[in-house]
Amino acid sequence: MKLTIRTALIAVVLILVPGLSAKAQDSRIQMTGLDHLAAKASQTVDVNLDERLMRLAARVFSDKDEDEREVKQLIANLKGIYVKSFEFDADGQYTPADIEIIRTQLRGPGWTRLVNVTSKKEGILEVYLLFSGETVGGLAVLHTDDRELTIVNIVGPVNLDKLAKLEGQLGIPDLGIQPKNKTKNDDEK
Amino acid sequence: MKAIATWIVVIAMIFTTANGAPAKGDDFNSVVRMIEQFYRVKHLGIPFLAKAGMKVATTAARIKGGQARQLAEAGSIKLAVFEDQSFNGDFIKFRSSLNEALNATWMPLIQTISAPNEEQVYIFLKDAGEKFNVLVITIEQRDATVVQVTLSPKNLALLLKDPEGTGKSITQEATINDQE
Repeated sequence: MKLTIRTALIAVVLILVPGLSAKAQDSRIQMTGLDHLAAKASQTVDVNLDERLMRLAARVFSDKDEDEREVKQLIANLKGIYVKSFEFDADGQYTPADIEIIRTQLRGPGWTRLVNVTSKKEGILEVYLLFSGETVGGLAVLHTDDRELTIVNIVGPVNLDKLAKLEGQLGIPDLGIQPKNKTKNDDEK
Repeated sequence: MKAIATWIVVIAMIFTTANGAPAKGDDFNSVVRMIEQFYRVKHLGIPFLAKAGMKVATTAARIKGGQARQLAEAGSIKLAVFEDQSFNGDFIKFRSSLNEALNATWMPLIQTISAPNEEQVYIFLKDAGEKFNVLVITIEQRDATVVQVTLSPKNLALLLKDPEGTGKSITQEATINDQE
């Protein structure tokens, strides 16, 4: 009898787990697999702005201040912003397997790699978007170089044109995201 | 006999209110105790702090006129200081214990660990009606501070815009030297 109940329970779990996984398939990237790197890193930064904090931020940012108003509009529908960044004093402190923890998730359904820039000086910058139909449901930025590993994950609908506004705010590092209409000539002026 | 029973109930109620209820949810003291237990250190008592010229409790919120921006709401500062003691320990283990202890009531905003100088900074937030409670924990090689303040929405916006910078200012404000 016991065996029958156990078997039934296992069967229920097996049926439910794929359903739960599918439901959990959102734009939140799990980064805890990288926590062990903190022991090797010279600097570790973790920013966690979950939905509660996003709502709180939307409440306290002023409508009178232009910058705050824009950030407020940008984060209004977001469900979270998460940043994890490691800086190392020497090369080779993280392995391809560490990056694979993140990339595996970004190969999941809905994710599309939008940008992949490799530069000797700046390392590799990858920008991924999670599409839900025609809307963008999330964004992930992966920046790696010899001595740095940074992941930024924005959960919820992202306005790409205004995304640069979030750089340097809310603990988000400068990612070098340029507004769409800004050209190289603008910088030279 | 009935009177004795009544007295027992009254005494029990007094003890429950005096000892049990206030301790519940006092995360500031829990964090201080956690640091003491984890690193086997002791925080300084208020008389010692006063002797050292440190501002504590309500006086900590007073900032010299116009020189620095006042972040904490007056009288809202709780401060614990650990001075000249060794903070050797597994910081990853400490971080995970801290997050586990505060996760139910506080929201982790930013956590930084700097390995070369073994500096850890943790900033947690909590909604407190119209205002907000902020808990800033700074642990260095030989010193540590735990600061809890109440912030206005305006100052919380500053903290959210620049968590690291404003977090440092909150700690500096709480530990500013009276004799400066």
